[in-house]
Amino acid sequence: MLYVSGEISGDSWGIFAFLCAALWNLPTLPALNSTDEVGAVQSIQKTYDLTRYLEHQLRTLAGTYLNYLGPPFNEPDFNPPRMTRAEMVPSATVDFELWRNLNDNARLAANYRAYTHLLCYLRSMDGQVAKAELRKNLGHFCTSLQGLVVSIASVMSSLGYPLPSPLGSANPTWAQGPGTTSTHNDFLKKMDDFWLLKELQTWLWRSAKDFNRLKKKVPPAALMLRLEARGF
Amino acid sequence: MWDNPSLRCLLAITFLHLLSLIYSQETGFPEAPENLKCITHDLNRMICSWDATSSANLGLTYKICYTNSEHFSLVCIETEGKRADIPVTVGSTNIRITTLNASGTSLATETFVLSEENVSLIPLTPQILNLSADFSTYTLYLKWNDSGSVFQYELDASWQIQILRKETLETVALMNYDSKLTGKDSILSWNWTSDIPLECTSYYVKIRCYINEPYFTGRKEWSEWSPIRTVPEKDTKPNSAMVFPQDKVVLVGSNVTFCCLYNEGESIKFMNYGSKSYPLLRLNKWSSAIKVQNVSASISSGTNVWCLLEPDGLEGTVLFVGYAPDTPQNLNCETRTFITITCSWNPGRATALYRQRQTKYILFERISKENVTCKVDELNKEHYCDFPVHANQKIYNFTLGASNPLGQAESSLLIDVNQRVHLETPVKFTVSTNSSTNAHLSWYIPGNFIQIRLLCQIEISNSNSERQLNVSMAGAENSNYRAWVDALHPYATYTFRVRCSASEHFWRWSKWSEEKKLTTLEAPPARGPAIWRERSPVGETLTVFWKPLLLSEANGIILSHEVSCYSREIMLKAHEVPVPLNSTEIKLGGNDCLISVVAKNRAGSSPPSRITSMDLPSDDVKTELAIAAGNGIYISWHSDPNVTCGYTLKWCISSGSEPCNVDWEMFPSNATDAVIKSALFQPGVRYNFSLYGCKHNGYQLLQNITGYMKELPPKVAPNFTVEETSSDSILVKWEDIPVEDCQGFLKGYILYFAKGEKGSSKTSFTDEENKTEKNITDLTKKSLRILDLQGKTSYRLGLRAYTVGGIGPSKDLYVVTKENSVGLIIAILIPVAVAVVLGVVTSILCYQKREWIKETFYPDIPNPENSKALQFQKNICEGNTALKTLEMNPCTPNSVEVVETQSTVLKIEDTEIISPVADSELPEDGSDPETGSHVVVSYCPPIIEEEISSPPIDEPVGSSQVIYIDIQSMYQPQVNPEEEPEINFVTTAGYKPQMQLPINAMKMESHSPTEEDLDKTAGYRPQANTNVWKLDSPDSPISIQSNNENGSFGSPCSINSRQFLIPPKDYEDSPTHNNTGWSFTNFFQNKPND
Repeated sequence: MLYVSGEISGDSWGIFAFLCAALWNLPTLPALNSTDEVGAVQSIQKTYDLTRYLEHQLRTLAGTYLNYLGPPFNEPDFNPPRMTRAEMVPSATVDFELWRNLNDNARLAANYRAYTHLLCYLRSMDGQVAKAELRKNLGHFCTSLQGLVVSIASVMSSLGYPLPSPLGSANPTWAQGPGTTSTHNDFLKKMDDFWLLKELQTWLWRSAKDFNRLKKKVPPAALMLRLEARGF
Repeated sequence: MWDNPSLRCLLAITFLHLLSLIYSQETGFPEAPENLKCITHDLNRMICSWDATSSANLGLTYKICYTNSEHFSLVCIETEGKRADIPVTVGSTNIRITTLNASGTSLATETFVLSEENVSLIPLTPQILNLSADFSTYTLYLKWNDSGSVFQYELDASWQIQILRKETLETVALMNYDSKLTGKDSILSWNWTSDIPLECTSYYVKIRCYINEPYFTGRKEWSEWSPIRTVPEKDTKPNSAMVFPQDKVVLVGSNVTFCCLYNEGESIKFMNYGSKSYPLLRLNKWSSAIKVQNVSASISSGTNVWCLLEPDGLEGTVLFVGYAPDTPQNLNCETRTFITITCSWNPGRATALYRQRQTKYILFERISKENVTCKVDELNKEHYCDFPVHANQKIYNFTLGASNPLGQAESSLLIDVNQRVHLETPVKFTVSTNSSTNAHLSWYIPGNFIQIRLLCQIEISNSNSERQLNVSMAGAENSNYRAWVDALHPYATYTFRVRCSASEHFWRWSKWSEEKKLTTLEAPPARGPAIWRERSPVGETLTVFWKPLLLSEANGIILSHEVSCYSREIMLKAHEVPVPLNSTEIKLGGNDCLISVVAKNRAGSSPPSRITSMDLPSDDVKTELAIAAGNGIYISWHSDPNVTCGYTLKWCISSGSEPCNVDWEMFPSNATDAVIKSALFQPGVRYNFSLYGCKHNGYQLLQNITGYMKELPPKVAPNFTVEETSSDSILVKWEDIPVEDCQGFLKGYILYFAKGEKGSSKTSFTDEENKTEKNITDLTKKSLRILDLQGKTSYRLGLRAYTVGGIGPSKDLYVVTKENSVGLIIAILIPVAVAVVLGVVTSILCYQKREWIKETFYPDIPNPENSKALQFQKNICEGNTALKTLEMNPCTPNSVEVVETQSTVLKIEDTEIISPVADSELPEDGSDPETGSHVVVSYCPPIIEEEISSPPIDEPVGSSQVIYIDIQSMYQPQVNPEEEPEINFVTTAGYKPQMQLPINAMKMESHSPTEEDLDKTAGYRPQANTNVWKLDSPDSPISIQSNNENGSFGSPCSINSRQFLIPPKDYEDSPTHNNTGWSFTNFFQNKPND
């Protein structure tokens, strides 16, 4: 019912969505072998909803944050060339065919790793912001993104996939984490923040598609069969 | 050595001597030395060089001989080169140079006299020891050796340093630097700050020297420039494009130059500062710059400066523009716990710098020389710092230093910590009691206050009072503090709170603690209730009343009242009356007793209130009126000397149908008046009071008083009726207004009356303008006769009562006065009598004149002028609009005999006598019986015209021959009506003789015609019809029609025949005048003739 309610403010909605996701998924995390197929489908649905909500929340946050960074970052046609050092932010620009050919497990694992890293970077960004209100908004977004990471983990576990190691990525550049950016000057840090927001946007867009596809692809019956097969 | 003045003097003389003697001796030999030049670097030795031809003979040597200034001996040296190092001598010296060949044979000799003026002082070329750069501050640091040891004494030296940049070695700066040579080698240093980042391009430096020896008279010249030195490159030279300066912090208003360095193969497209693009300044092949003037404060994340490179690149930097920290304002340091001193301040103007560039504050204490770094959050705008309190230190001299990359500021404060105690809010505040008047309070204050005393303020408040109690107590360390409060009211709820400060040196109160409520225990009622008693009319029973005690007197919840009856100290009876009853009945049984009433609560009984049951007889009790005081009732009475124990004023307030509540008030014996106030008193309600005097043996009713708290206008109008009506008067009666509707003491009535009919006007009498009012102040009067009214007229009456409070509503009545019958009778009788008298007189006259009448009206020989043809219709002058044309048919020309033509003069005279008004008396023309109201003047113009032989010469032929002559004005139309009918019409419209004539005639004849007649006459407008005047043609068929509605009115004196129909005046006097017979006027005029 609350989904259709337009009266709820962004913040309340974010907290609500996070709580929903966390409360729903946390109990399922340890229960990786749960055979509750209805729960798995609902978990995918919740993750999808949360992804969509984060997309919405990011739009607001990015607007405020880019304004905080100042021109040229807040200019609508600003499209800087991506420097090598900016690869510290995980890139979502993967070839479509390549991505499509990945199996669900690999896709979910890539999502999980990416958000874990992005979250890590986002938190480091939070400490640098010189505006109290923006810091608060970033904090809210981090909380919501944390919910998404937990949610993806829940979906993976409900589908019987192992949880990937966050740092065991094949892409060592951005696996190093945000700490390596400390030698950057302020402009490069701003550039990194810009790319982070852009990557977040692209990842969220892609995740929404992924979860939507997964939702249709994994009906409750199929899930049950798969789980049963695992059991044997 | 040079310090010795005599030596200096000697040296100077020597130089001068040398100068005067120097000359060259030309010998003519080619090997002869010439052009001797000497320079010195150190004023000690000089290097002399000369020119000499040596091409022919190799292996030439030179022998130089000079006089040693110390020993005045000749010193000779040989040298192969054409230069020699010889000591500088004072004054002038002779130098003989001999050219020797290889075999030592003198080839030529030259003697030079060398003076000091010819020696040049050129310092040694300086060497740059070190050149370093601080890229963050764009500063170059230069070090070099001044070679001061070359000179043995102090000298002034000047240095010139040249800064060059770019590959083209453009001079950026040429700076001078002065120093003092001390006779020892010293390392001199100098720095220079660039206006653009040093990374932007390459810099080069060189230096030269100048020695200023005041006693040296020779030429002093700059040294050679030192070898050029290049500014070393930055250690971390970027391998990619970059923008400089990186993350720099500058003051608002600065001018900043940014440069963008790029690599080979790249080019710069544009460079922006913020959102604005600036023109590029090319520094070198791989570097371009922009210059931004007067930068404004940057946004919180810093202003971005970036350059876009081709083919694909974006580089940038962030500039932080802000202010140096402001001086901390309102620095305040105080201790709350004696553990730390907390300093707080207002940072003043914002610096616009955040995070790592925000202002850093350090609190330094000068006495203990300790400092603490303050944690300041610029985002939350909290600025405070804690400094530890030292055990044996009372005085603290704080300096708060504020610094950021752009500058620093400080603020100082000296305090005595004991005088700056601002305690924490008391906590754990509790209040308890075990009595009805005391309370225990306890609270806790964190901190070590052993060295000071505390002053705590306890606020005690209840619903109607608030007081503050100051308590001083010794300070303790992290302790509970207690206080004891007394003088509280029993059974009262109080709210307590506490705050504290230092007692000895008050600085600030702490915040108030939380509030605590406490209700004290009950105590016996403080006094007995106020009582009164009333005997029943028979005297068998006595009703005892008491008033409930005030909360402050009750000291608890009153549970009951005990009523006792004592007779000679013996209690006859007693019984307890529970609350809320406040009266009881006691059967006296014929015996009087002393009534005692005691109030009881849980804590005990009140002192008894006593009153005797005895009533003293009283006679002739008067009722007085009280005065409304607005907020009460003012009552006064006469003092009674027998009253010894006061007066009691008793009243009863009834509310609705319930029995009234007895209330009373007691006054001392000397009181004679009082204002009785009660919340139950209402304005406009009459209250009755009874005044009792307390005498030694009982109470006596002295007086009854009635009054109002506030008088209001009467609530209703008096009920009044009309008792009697005549043609000129009305008798009005009214009834008294009931007392409850009066709302005050009635002062009188106001009776209004005015003409007016029922339903015609609904306005109140106050708005009526023509009203008459009568004020009736005699309240005994219950009726009033209104006189001088008009008969048969409707009157509106209104009656209102009034009090001091105002005039009450009005009740209206409508009355019609009777008709005045006498007047009516008189009005009828007088005309009848007049008519009768007139009739009688007429009859008598007719009788007396019967002969004349007969002659006139029925002559034996009829007068032709009375012929029908010339008779006017009846009502000829009544002014009917529908007039007939001249009657043609009855026209009998035979009967009109034209005797002669009348002159106009005659006509005028004629009008004065004869009036057509008399036509009304004319007999009705039988030819036009149907149109009796139409005047038909019969004449026969066509026939007459035919008979008239000649018309007037001035009249055009063919125009109408009928001339209408105004009988009075002799108006005669002169214009041809056929040609200008409109004008005729207008002219004719103005033709008024018929309107005026009758009036004049009537005046003349003293006859008063009725208005109706006048109107008819005045309305006579036959000529207004234009058709009339078109009847010029005698053959007009319209004119022939006698009954034509549009017929023309003809003058009674149509003179188509030039003959007046009415006889001229001349005939008037004639007793045989035939015309007078038809005129009613003539009837009277002729009378004397008879």
